[in-house]
Amino acid sequence: MVATEYYVALSSILFAIGAVGVLTRRSAIMVFLSVELMLNAANLALVAFARQWSGAGSITALSGQTAVFIILALAAAEVAVGLGILVSIFRYRASTDVDALAEIRL
Amino acid sequence: MTDLISLAAFAPLLALIGALVNGLFGRAFREPLPGVIASLSVGIGFLLSIIAFFALAAGEETRVSITLWPYLQAGSFELSLGFALDRLSLLMMLIITGVGFLIHVYSIGYMHGDEGFSRYFMGLNLFVAAMLLLVMADSFLLMFVGWEGVGICSYLLIGFWYREKLNADAARKAFIVNRIGDAGFLLAMFLTVTTFGTLDIQAVNEAAGALVFGSSVLGVIGLLYLLAATGKSAQLPLQVWLPDAMAGPTPVSALIHAATMVTAGVYLIARVAPLFAQTPAASAAVAWVGGLTALIAAFIAFSQTDIKKILAYSTISQLGFMFVAVGVGAYWVGIFHVFTHAFFKALLFLGAGSVIHALAGEQDVRRMGGLGKHMRVTGTTSLIATLAIAGVPLLSGFFSKDAILAHTATSELIADYGNLVLYAILLVTAAMTAFYMFRWYHRVFAGEERFPKKLRDSLHESPSVMTLPLVILAVCSVLAGYLGLPEFAFPNWIAHWLEPSVETPVSFLHLSTSLEWLLIGLSVVAAAVGLGLGYWVYERNRGRLVARLEESMLARLSRSGFGFDALYRAVFVEPAEGTASGLSSVDTDIVDRGLRAGASPVGLLARAAALLQSGYLRAYALAMLIGVLVFALIVSLSGVLS
Amino acid sequence: MATFLILAVVMIVGAVGVITLKQPVHAALALVGTLLTLAVTYVTLEAHFLAAIQVIVYAGAIMVLFLFVIMLLNIQGETPPAVLAWFRPLAYIVAVVAAAAIATTAFMEPRSLPDEVQIATALQGGGVEPIADVLFSDFLLAFQLVGVLLLTGIIGAVSLVQRKVVAVQEARADGATKELEHA
Repeated sequence: MVATEYYVALSSILFAIGAVGVLTRRSAIMVFLSVELMLNAANLALVAFARQWSGAGSITALSGQTAVFIILALAAAEVAVGLGILVSIFRYRASTDVDALAEIRL
Repeated sequence: MTDLISLAAFAPLLALIGALVNGLFGRAFREPLPGVIASLSVGIGFLLSIIAFFALAAGEETRVSITLWPYLQAGSFELSLGFALDRLSLLMMLIITGVGFLIHVYSIGYMHGDEGFSRYFMGLNLFVAAMLLLVMADSFLLMFVGWEGVGICSYLLIGFWYREKLNADAARKAFIVNRIGDAGFLLAMFLTVTTFGTLDIQAVNEAAGALVFGSSVLGVIGLLYLLAATGKSAQLPLQVWLPDAMAGPTPVSALIHAATMVTAGVYLIARVAPLFAQTPAASAAVAWVGGLTALIAAFIAFSQTDIKKILAYSTISQLGFMFVAVGVGAYWVGIFHVFTHAFFKALLFLGAGSVIHALAGEQDVRRMGGLGKHMRVTGTTSLIATLAIAGVPLLSGFFSKDAILAHTATSELIADYGNLVLYAILLVTAAMTAFYMFRWYHRVFAGEERFPKKLRDSLHESPSVMTLPLVILAVCSVLAGYLGLPEFAFPNWIAHWLEPSVETPVSFLHLSTSLEWLLIGLSVVAAAVGLGLGYWVYERNRGRLVARLEESMLARLSRSGFGFDALYRAVFVEPAEGTASGLSSVDTDIVDRGLRAGASPVGLLARAAALLQSGYLRAYALAMLIGVLVFALIVSLSGVLS
Repeated sequence: MATFLILAVVMIVGAVGVITLKQPVHAALALVGTLLTLAVTYVTLEAHFLAAIQVIVYAGAIMVLFLFVIMLLNIQGETPPAVLAWFRPLAYIVAVVAAAAIATTAFMEPRSLPDEVQIATALQGGGVEPIADVLFSDFLLAFQLVGVLLLTGIIGAVSLVQRKVVAVQEARADGATKELEHA
């Protein structure tokens, strides 16, 4: 059995890669993909921790997995709305460049 | 019987309901309706008062108290709100609702077509409610509620045409000057509580009777109530507001500033008669304030040119007479003069209103004259009122004024304080009253026509809704005096009636019948001299003498209202304005500038912080990631996990 | 351990592909690879139900939506951002430090795993039934709220994307005039 630390390390690497993607990509859809990567990194850590906490009983242990289930549902909603916003921005600007959106700040 | 008397307690409620209905829904009503509602609410109150009056007259008891509800309870101090219906308050109620009803009816005609028609009647009804509260109250506190209530209604109605700055200023002036008197009322109440431990008027009266004659605390309380009374009744030195108060609609002047509210001061002193009867010093102060006010106001009335201001000064002067009456200890006489004065002064004001109405708002007597031919009812009724106030025998003013003069001359209460000098002053003032009232009548209704020719054709008598109250008031002005014929030779109903309410140990010298007749003769002579002089100056001499005296010192003094306004302006208003402008410059130069200086670094900081909001999504994300990094470092380095 | 290493390498390669590939379609496919590998990892972590829905919902539904939008909008490859060029190195540094910090923290405090029997009894293989037990008891409120959120998301997405009728008519009229001009 692989120790939890390795999963946490893998999770943090994936998270960092996702963060770099968010910070360096221009296209909104690429930013989006990177955000999904970061979400999944967090999910991985949650599942790993769920196994780590098996000693504390069934409900505590399964809480981690249930949280991942809920995050999955949230991600689905987020993607639906986010892509909707993306489409409507594209309609007005014919571009998904997030830097070009700097001008909509208040 | 008691139940019938208690009915009168609904009178203020009715007026209040009328005010509420007119205030809330008045705008939706078509024109005469608000007036009809208001008149009915007061008229029913009048009927209730009459029923109560006769019930009281027929019954055994002289005082019925109605406890409404407990108001406050603090330790041993207890106060419940309630009405005390006795012979004095019922008589006042009759005056208020009776004259009030006539003036309400008159107002329907007078205020015809005014955009504030319903607002006007709301104010008038509210006033009646407050005034009734004032006279019916069984404690000083409730009386004070009414006292303030009439004050606020007076303010609202003086400034009724509030779009004119002059009117709004007059309203404010009346309110502020009245506040000074109100402060006196409050102080008097405080002292009453600490001295007697109660605010119940009857209890205070009984306790005051038991105190040492001439005790100083009673004197102070009396003087404070006198201060309150001078404010409300426009006596020296607080008389300045009443002439300006003529800015309100004329029926308001008739009701509030002639017949009812301004007599509240007299009523107050009569109400606490046993207290004043125990303190000659305070009583003398009342009498002297009244005497001097009567003299000075009559003097000022000589030169006024505004039809209503002459009457205003006349009111002040007559109120002075009433103050003398209650000051010398003749409390029923003071109320008697309130009673007669209510009729003929209301009549004079309503007559003036009728004239103003006919002349399309003209108020300057120099542009009137000869109106008697065109307005027969107004002219005739005004003549009756003029003669009544001048003290022509057999009219109401004669009897009440003569009673005041006689009681002043024979007063034992203030015998040490120069009651005979006071008598002389009043006698002169009576002559002056006859003179200026003749002048008023002559300038308005007789003599040559000085109004613009084009008005002549459109001149008309007022509608019957206005003239009918005039006629009723004229009848009352003639007959009211017969309720108080001179005591020594005739039955005197009103003195007998009021006796239980204003019972005091005050006594008067008993004069021989011939001396009594001499006093009456003197007042007749005074009236005759005044009227004769007026006739000579204005009819025979054609005002030539007046023209010559126009620029004399005395004439200028009279025109300027004895310089009170200028004095108050210099002593109170200008220092206050100076202080205010000084404080305002402190505010702008020091406070504001300091704050602005203190605020500028904050502004700079804000502008610097605004740079952080670049609008670049990635910049925000980086900031967030750096935050995560810092957080992770703190967690790993601090070792909280272990 | 070998399984984990293989999976980790594939996952990291996929993740790097997501953030480096120019074409969005390629990046999306790289992400699909990462997600599928993640599903396998879930199996090794005794989370069978999650592994299944990771494939069905994530790699399946969500990524299909992504691909659909990419193709709908016909998004092409991008050039590196012109503004904020100094961001790129800074981003790398911060990301590396953050990952290193988290990983180091994890390794600094190693914890021993519970024994296999305990894991098996507690997680019960992470099947549908044990998850449902927890989800419909302790997490019921969260579950219902997620339901509301999904509904809101659907409505939001529809209202965002739906064109106003007037705008559509104008667009059609525009097209018609252009056609006329063409002719």
